[in-house]
Amino acid sequence: MSIRLLALIPVAAAISLALSAAVEAVALPLFLDTTGTILATALAGPGVGIATGVVTSAVNSLRNPTFWPFVVVQIIVALYAWIAARAGLFRGLRTAVPAGLGLGVIASITSTPISYVVFGCSTTSGIALATAVGKALGLSPLGACFFGSFVSDFGDKAVTFALVTSVLHALPRRTAARFPWALRAIGAS
Amino acid sequence: MRRLHPFTLLAIAGALPALAWTLPAPWGGLATAVLAFALTLTPGASPRLPVFRTALVTAAPFWVFLLLLHDVASTVAIGLRITTMVASFVWLMAALAPSRLVEAMVAAGWGASVAYLFAATLSAVPLLRARARRIVDAQRCRGLSPRGGVASRLRALRALALPLVLSALHEVDERALALETRGLVPGVRRTPLAPPPDSALQRIGRWGLVTVCAAALVWRVTWSG
Repeated sequence: MSIRLLALIPVAAAISLALSAAVEAVALPLFLDTTGTILATALAGPGVGIATGVVTSAVNSLRNPTFWPFVVVQIIVALYAWIAARAGLFRGLRTAVPAGLGLGVIASITSTPISYVVFGCSTTSGIALATAVGKALGLSPLGACFFGSFVSDFGDKAVTFALVTSVLHALPRRTAARFPWALRAIGAS
Repeated sequence: MRRLHPFTLLAIAGALPALAWTLPAPWGGLATAVLAFALTLTPGASPRLPVFRTALVTAAPFWVFLLLLHDVASTVAIGLRITTMVASFVWLMAALAPSRLVEAMVAAGWGASVAYLFAATLSAVPLLRARARRIVDAQRCRGLSPRGGVASRLRALRALALPLVLSALHEVDERALALETRGLVPGVRRTPLAPPPDSALQRIGRWGLVTVCAAALVWRVTWSG
């Protein structure tokens, strides 16, 4: 791994953890905690993306340890983002948003068993409330847990993909060309 | 406690939640939760009461969510496990300085790049958060309104997030140059300047904790069902 890609990992992980300040300002029910993982993958491939996801989870766990079991989700996100980058799905919002919605489904399928077995679906207030709504709608406990994860992940991942697409297109071409996957991800090579 | 080797602190903080999930509920979880809260009151975790209070405040919402979703027996069983996990990590954060952990990792033969990843992220997060807050203030001064409908809020989010992410990405080259200048080449082993002292007793203690966790798991799977 080159020094530049090594330097990218902590920057991307810190982006994921610092975006909460922007989210708080607009008061939207979003996490954006996989932004750095998706961005690092789109710029530099799956190895850098997975490393970013693991570092993000590890550092986030120091603030709230309940994040650590969800490191698997970060790895799945990196692999999905790699497939999306290879397919050039970051070339515009029309391709990125549906790809993000697809990731929302996959991420909620991945996180539901962890949330159910380890935390009894009580990871965040939003997920707990959505799970309670699912139970009130007559869903099984596991079904209600999936409902809770789905409600929180579906829109979040679509917004994250759209944001990463905006970043990739806003990057000067000379800067983008320094990363091995950036131009391919936006369909420019 | 602060004098303990970072790996010993990590072993204790990891073993307690592992035992909480392995031992039968609710007594296993209760015992580990009590031990974890006792750790937050040890002299190493200074200042003591704030650490205890932080653990309590962090764990409390989970009990509310669990009561919303489960019966009392399940709430107590899962709640005690989550409380153990929260209290152990809050204590760990109070007792373990990240710089000591990095030194210990390098001394143990981990690549300098792995240690760099954690140290650099830990130091970059507060810097980027502060920058994010400055960008929020600056954009508000320019008339950006983060209120209104969802579409308007999403546009505001883009205007806040894009400068943050782009400015962070432009720093990558500067960081890479600094790393090259300091001779950080992936795969090369470095010698730490002041490695945290370790002892045979602590090494035995760490392996003892691993053995206890493994034994508890085997006992639970084979005999306890």
